[in-house]
Amino acid sequence: MTHPLEQLRDDALREIDSAPDKQALEAARVKYLGRSGSVSAWGEQMKTLAKEEKPVVGKLLNEVRAAVTASLESRAQQFRAQKESGALAKIDVFLPGTPHELGTLHPLTQMWERSIEIFRRMGFALADGPDIEDEWHCFDALNTPPEHPARNEQDTFYLRDGRLLRTHTSTVQIRTMQAAPPPIRVIAPGAAYRRDELDATHSPQFHQIEGLYVDENVSIADLKGALEFFMCELFGPGTGVQFRPHYFPFTEPSLEVYVKSKALKGGERWIEVAGSGVVHPAVFEEVNKARGDDAYDSQKWSGYAFGLGMDRLAMILFDIPDIRLFAQNDLRFLRQFA
Amino acid sequence: MKFSVNWLREFVDLPENPEEIADLLTRAGVETENIETRGANVDKVIVSQITASSRHPNADRLTVCEVDDASGTKRQIVCGATNYKVSDRVPLALPGAKLPNGTEIRKSKLRGVESEGMLCSPIELGLGDDASGLLILPPDAKIGTPIGDLFPEDTILDVEITPNRGDLLSHFGLAREIAALTGKKLKSTPRESKIAIKKTGVTITATRECPFFSARKIDNVKVSPSPQWLRTKIESVGIRSINNIVDISNFVMLELGQPTHAFDADKLRGDINVRLARDGEKFLALDGKTYSLKPDNLVVADQERAVGIGGVMGGEETSVSDSTKNILLEAAYFLPASIRRTARNLNLPSDASYRFERGVDPEMILRASQRATELIQELAGGTPGKEINLAGKLPPNPADISLSYDKCDRVIGISIKPKAIDEILTGFGLKKTSAAKTTKWKIPSYRRDLQRDVDLIEEVVRAYGAEQIPGTDRSRYTASSAADHAHDLESAWRSRLAAVGLNEVRTSKLLPRERFVFSEGAIELRNPLSEDHVALRPSILVGLVAVLDRNIRAGAERVAIFEIGRTFIPPSGKEERHLGVLLWGNVAGAANWRSVSNRGVDLFDLKGALECVVPNLSFRPGKFPDLALPVDVFSGDRMIGFGGQLSSAKATASGPVFVAELHADLLLVPDELRKKFREIEKFPAISRDIAMIVPEEVSHEKIWRVIHEPREPLLESVELFDVFSGGEVGAARKSLAYRLTYRDRSRTLTNEEVNAAHAKIRERLRRDLGAELRE
Repeated sequence: MTHPLEQLRDDALREIDSAPDKQALEAARVKYLGRSGSVSAWGEQMKTLAKEEKPVVGKLLNEVRAAVTASLESRAQQFRAQKESGALAKIDVFLPGTPHELGTLHPLTQMWERSIEIFRRMGFALADGPDIEDEWHCFDALNTPPEHPARNEQDTFYLRDGRLLRTHTSTVQIRTMQAAPPPIRVIAPGAAYRRDELDATHSPQFHQIEGLYVDENVSIADLKGALEFFMCELFGPGTGVQFRPHYFPFTEPSLEVYVKSKALKGGERWIEVAGSGVVHPAVFEEVNKARGDDAYDSQKWSGYAFGLGMDRLAMILFDIPDIRLFAQNDLRFLRQFA
Repeated sequence: MKFSVNWLREFVDLPENPEEIADLLTRAGVETENIETRGANVDKVIVSQITASSRHPNADRLTVCEVDDASGTKRQIVCGATNYKVSDRVPLALPGAKLPNGTEIRKSKLRGVESEGMLCSPIELGLGDDASGLLILPPDAKIGTPIGDLFPEDTILDVEITPNRGDLLSHFGLAREIAALTGKKLKSTPRESKIAIKKTGVTITATRECPFFSARKIDNVKVSPSPQWLRTKIESVGIRSINNIVDISNFVMLELGQPTHAFDADKLRGDINVRLARDGEKFLALDGKTYSLKPDNLVVADQERAVGIGGVMGGEETSVSDSTKNILLEAAYFLPASIRRTARNLNLPSDASYRFERGVDPEMILRASQRATELIQELAGGTPGKEINLAGKLPPNPADISLSYDKCDRVIGISIKPKAIDEILTGFGLKKTSAAKTTKWKIPSYRRDLQRDVDLIEEVVRAYGAEQIPGTDRSRYTASSAADHAHDLESAWRSRLAAVGLNEVRTSKLLPRERFVFSEGAIELRNPLSEDHVALRPSILVGLVAVLDRNIRAGAERVAIFEIGRTFIPPSGKEERHLGVLLWGNVAGAANWRSVSNRGVDLFDLKGALECVVPNLSFRPGKFPDLALPVDVFSGDRMIGFGGQLSSAKATASGPVFVAELHADLLLVPDELRKKFREIEKFPAISRDIAMIVPEEVSHEKIWRVIHEPREPLLESVELFDVFSGGEVGAARKSLAYRLTYRDRSRTLTNEEVNAAHAKIRERLRRDLGAELRE
């Protein structure tokens, strides 16, 4: 035989479940759990019960009260969910996100940052030197004495006082070695200048990263290892890297670096990206003379050096057809590299 | 330099495919930049002569030619070209000929007139791209000869010869290199001159600049056009045919690398003397120009005047002409540095100076003279003198070089067998003179670029193949440098400015002169190349304003840009790193569905942008000629830059332009170590607002000082949250509202304490500024 409390519970749950709206649900709550509701009334009745009946009925009453409360909450949650989904259903999720006015970094900066980041992982520190240089740092110290066929004053911008704008960042090799004894492991990003007419592939101002590593027994194999790693990091795995003998006055042997990558336009063509080589002993000798010591003894130390053209690398990597775009700074151009 | 593959083949066997030759050279550091196929590869095209020409009866643009093809009967050809005259010799494609463009020639009727073949233009024969008219052949071209005999098929390699390898500037020289790289034998080498020597007729005064000079007399020559084979050869590598004597001189230079020069001997007055020029000495060169010489220019002179700029260019007065009978053939050695200086100072580079300044092979001088003499005898008649006149001494051969195999391995990074090294060096013409642990090598006369052991190691790398050397990992720890710190701080600035919506630009550091410079002058170039690049920028703003103009022209409605880079401060050109910022147009970009409102940028947007990168800046009214609203920018007590609104006289943009430039070097100092944790506030703050009306001229800075001084210990922060003027505020007054936040870091404040502190501040504002406080 069911206890009247159980009957009461069943009635309440039935009524709550079928409450059509929030008002009806509130009415049901008042009816059963309100101060003078029927479940509450049982609480009063408890006082009149026999002592042995009290624990049994008390337990049952708690259960009934919990069941009714839970049912009320569950039905209320159903109403809230209905209301919520009704309101949200009207939102057009296809509307665009709130636009933020983000700025951009110049593609050359990005090229530089990317390169510097790779070289730093390889253990290179940064070095620096001035754009305005003297002939000694730009030519003589780099084994390009006056009347040397590679010393091309025609292609060099001179200032009125006889100084010049560096034609390559290799000047930083000399400045770094003047300032500190070996071992040296630096890269030097910077601008260089050549007396070229501005056209799609030449600019009087261009940008390079110079590299120099001087240590015991530094070899061509080490140079190859370093630049192969760099190029594969830059252009992606599977990049072909080729070294071709060449001539630079300040390295001997000298090698030009070519890459080939499916990621690049022109796919299977070798593209020249850098000049490099083993530091010429005459460069060490000039540095020693300037230092007044024998810190760069070519019997003990050897080194490799390289120079990468940043404009050219950025043009290759980003598929930019004209070097003039870099200095024009058209916002429509800059935003493409956001 | 351009090389003819046919010509190279006279000296060495080459692979059939020119690409293979190019690849071989390129891998050895002699880069082939271009490969071009030349010559006519066609059958049934012959030399013919136009004997008559008349108008086509049915077509205005066509003519009917009568042509002699050496068959005995004349042919009738319909032709569309107009560049010929009767008697010209032209290529005739006979019926059955197949042209390179695929056209097959047949007997046919053109507008009713029979045509028994076709007269050809250069492009139709695959000889260049000239399609403007018929190919007019030399008058001595033999009628009936196959056209392929006049234009033999050839491949032309355009090879970049590096400045250290003067020995490769000839067909023989490049063939010798290819032989060394492929292990093939040279088919022939230039014969040694056996001629008797006479130490008269030539004197050298400038013995340093000209160590050796020879002159060979050749009498009774007949100057005339060169035979076809000679013309074809020199023209195939880009040298214009002049006459047989000049062509032979050029031919020998292209073949053997030694420039020679032929004088008209009858125009020389007395013996040859090689000397330095007199200051201001005038010289009429072969190019028709008169040069004023300096004492460091070397001249070849007779007893009266200069007849040639030694190693650079001959003189007009003594040059070989059609009437020349007797010649004097010069072959000499000149000091490379002297030639280079002269060619550069006179701006007179020539094929000869190009070779002399890279150093010619002393052992080739007399061989070349001999070769030229023999050719002149053969092609121009003439009787060579029995002796050669010469003066001076040939420069000594290069010194021997020591090389240890160990060193070679150390520089290359792998071990190469001594035998392989020996083979490579021997292949390049070196001779081992000592086989001790450190070997000794005799260097051939033509390899003056080989001076040290590393030069020999490079030869080993070139022949061994750089691709055979595996790369190794030599990464190592390196401490960061000052340049690293500077770079990182600069990067942080860039990122922050980009994060708040500014676009980074990079403008040229070279400027046009007339450009608005934000500075007293600029460092100018001595030798600018164009008017666009004459001076080094003293300020970044110049470039930013140009970028603004360009983008406005391109239709931009908002320009917010910055640049960080070097500037060059006159008069010394001190290099300073500056940050430049420019703002123009609206604050936000194009209208979008979320934007509530937009407005034009103002000075405070500029300040806000700068405050993103440098904390605690202060701005004070300043003076700057090009700015309408100038402010000086301070960090602490140090002025670090300036900014403001560009005066309308300087701006082409419509609407205000705001610019600022900071000296970044003063600010980019590492501050990471100064960042320290401070305990997060545990006790609540209490805020009170003050709204006030003050006279217009009372600045925010003044109000801020009154609120802060004397320091109220409970006052934590002050925020300006509203400013307006006009309307109910009244004329010449403005309304400002501040939120003051009070807190004690060690306990909860009571309302009474805050009220007392706040009342003191209100009172000060009223008393010191006459502020009208609103409740």
